[in-house]
Amino acid sequence: MEKPILTVRDITKIFVGTVALSRVGFSLYPGEVLALLGENGAGKSTLMKILSGAYPCDSFTGEIVLEDEPRRFHSPKDAEDAGIAMIPQEINLELDLSVTENIMLGKMPRNRAGLVDWKKAHAEAAGLLQRLGVNGVDPHMPARSFSSSIQQLISIARALYRKPRILILDEPTSCLTESETQILFGAVRSLQEKGLSCLYISHKLNEVFELCGRVVVLRDGKYISEYTKDEFGTAPIIQDIVGRKLEDFQKKTRSVSQEEVLRAEHFHVAHPYAYGKKIINDVSFTLHKGEILGMCGLVGSGRSELLGAVFGALPKLSGEVYLEGKKVSIKHPSDAKRLGIGMLTEDRKKDGFIGCLSIRENISVTVLNMLTKRLFIQRGKEKTLAADYMKRLSIKAPDMETKILTLSGGNQQKAIVAKWLATDMKVLILDEPTRGIDVGTKQEMYQLIRQLADNGLSIIVVSSEVQELLKLCDRFIVLSEGKVHSVIKGEDASEEVILKACSDL
Amino acid sequence: MPKDKNLWKRFWNMQESGVLLATILFMVIITCVNSVFLTPDNIWNVLRSTGFTLLTTLGITLVLISGGLDLSVGSVYALGGTVCAKFLVMGLPVWVSIIAGLVCGLLVGLVNGLIIVKLNIPPLIVTLGMMYVARGVVYVLTQGVPVYPLPEGFKQLEQTSLIGAVPNVVILALVLAVVMNVLMKRTPLGRSIYAVGGNAEAARISGLNVGRVKLFVYVITGMLAALTGILMTARLGSAQATAGTGYEMTVIAAAIIGGTSTYAGVGTIWGSVLGALFMEILSNSLTLMRISVYWQNIVIGVVLVVAVIIDTYRRVLMRRRELNATK
Repeated sequence: MEKPILTVRDITKIFVGTVALSRVGFSLYPGEVLALLGENGAGKSTLMKILSGAYPCDSFTGEIVLEDEPRRFHSPKDAEDAGIAMIPQEINLELDLSVTENIMLGKMPRNRAGLVDWKKAHAEAAGLLQRLGVNGVDPHMPARSFSSSIQQLISIARALYRKPRILILDEPTSCLTESETQILFGAVRSLQEKGLSCLYISHKLNEVFELCGRVVVLRDGKYISEYTKDEFGTAPIIQDIVGRKLEDFQKKTRSVSQEEVLRAEHFHVAHPYAYGKKIINDVSFTLHKGEILGMCGLVGSGRSELLGAVFGALPKLSGEVYLEGKKVSIKHPSDAKRLGIGMLTEDRKKDGFIGCLSIRENISVTVLNMLTKRLFIQRGKEKTLAADYMKRLSIKAPDMETKILTLSGGNQQKAIVAKWLATDMKVLILDEPTRGIDVGTKQEMYQLIRQLADNGLSIIVVSSEVQELLKLCDRFIVLSEGKVHSVIKGEDASEEVILKACSDL
Repeated sequence: MPKDKNLWKRFWNMQESGVLLATILFMVIITCVNSVFLTPDNIWNVLRSTGFTLLTTLGITLVLISGGLDLSVGSVYALGGTVCAKFLVMGLPVWVSIIAGLVCGLLVGLVNGLIIVKLNIPPLIVTLGMMYVARGVVYVLTQGVPVYPLPEGFKQLEQTSLIGAVPNVVILALVLAVVMNVLMKRTPLGRSIYAVGGNAEAARISGLNVGRVKLFVYVITGMLAALTGILMTARLGSAQATAGTGYEMTVIAAAIIGGTSTYAGVGTIWGSVLGALFMEILSNSLTLMRISVYWQNIVIGVVLVVAVIIDTYRRVLMRRRELNATK
């Protein structure tokens, strides 16, 4: 076998009181795409931060060998100079700088006078984006004006500009659609052919199987196992990741009543970026009692905008909502809440949870009025409520006074679901309910959604993962270019049918 | 956060512990240096000025927790006092004049709040503008000349006392602090203020009326600033156009030293009470130590920044510990 380009040995990293990594080691070979798998908190991010120099070499023990040469990184710059480029999960572009500036930041090409050679810079930036298969992005435009998926590709272009030998991708597809994911994979494969090695972190197993040649599983800060391409299999790997056998969540044909709960008619919503354009153009749909309705479409098809407008979180140009046959007026989320509609938003950090409050306070925030008697919040009632939901949704935390900010993504998400369950709801809208959540919690979330629907709650789910929708939903609405492309019944749906409809084929 | 059995740790985890320790430390030092500090007269002096600072600090604390800022309180302080005094000089009854002053504060707060909420203009800009406008109105009203004489009945408000030697302003400030503390800790409105400061978008999605919460904090702050100005006018026996210059900075500093975070969503009323007390003890002791007034501003500035530095690092440490606890 070839010599590895990177070997890490016996990496141990201890935070005050906890062992984040314990004697972890692995090798990476030239031209290989290696996946690192593990639940949230398994130590993947810590390991990547060590490799990218974010944790200086004195803060851990162990060895990093890059092409036979032991390396000690004191800062991210050291790692970058050694040829390790990391693309973090959260997009960290300077949104008001141009695409070119973002890509070249700190390494702008200069002309003979020592000034920035803008012509060359823009041309190189455009070239890099082209190589990644991104078309129609004007490198002069500020990064803010592009969708988050394009922004993700811009960060990759920035990493590539530094001509790395090892590229670390931390959940790069969490906000990409299937087709954008394919563009990214294409780019990674062509880089791979040129000898670049990749470390790939993702929760999405099917993507990992498609792209990677080998996987390493970490759990609780320890190396657990390793699989090569011919050994890939969902069941054993998931078992290694969570450390126990998981009942795989299966698709089930449910009988749903035809009783209409919610009907949205003739919705028009303005485009958030393009002035004068509509992102939703005359969309109507219905939701039945106890139904799980899947809302499909590419990013930019207006899924989130449509549901945000129905919920009253976004302004609509026009459109009517009927709840149980009666016309209702929803101008603000509080109207929707009063009528019995709840919404879990796409980005829980941005508008889901309230970071400075505890789990208890985050759960009760939607029902403060119900908990209040003669001006005061009834503490006892509030605690009972929070304890009840923490138990029902098995939210893992030391206690209900723990600040929600310190929880893992899955537990944060559960607390946000809990705050809506606490209200007396008829309709629950879930926008990307499993984004950035580990495999185990995902299964729990699916069980919960189905259980709620079985109890008569009507649910709309938006997700970029078609597999997930296929398992969960009874019916699908596909949006394309701001209109309803098709309505697909559960028994007729397959990945192919939905993806075709999404791309308007 | 789990309750710790160790008393010392529990104390350390309290947001107010830092400023409380600093206050006590300062009092010990100053008592050693100058015995005048502990004389009843001086103590009442310190408490009286604490009362004047605290009244508006209570309002500013709510504004800061909700993620806002109000720079206009110094000017509103002068406006409330001036309008009240003008009404008194015109011969109107004391209670009418006081209400007139308070209404001015309310209106200013309402305008601040409405512009911030409805037109979505940053609070810094809106209240900076209001700082000039309100001060301008005071100059127009007074033409720069002190407004007096004021009736005895009005002056007695702050020149006599209801309970023994305790200045009325101290009683009032403490009563309001208790009310505000209950408001913040026990009522839905208080919880909403924290929620709006923590994440206004999430609060809105959760069905809270974010606009109304913001409006409330600016209105209450305007009224408290006007009230402070009215009481100071009673104490001095005249209204001055320059009253309350720089007052906005004192109250913001008091709230921040008391642990109210500039990142919003964090802060307590008792912290602000201690912050106001600390500010006044600091300036009183600097005077007693015969440190020139010119030097005092330097000390206050340094203390403010050091307080925030300590607070920031304590938060980082606590956060790290909590993270480890949940792992």
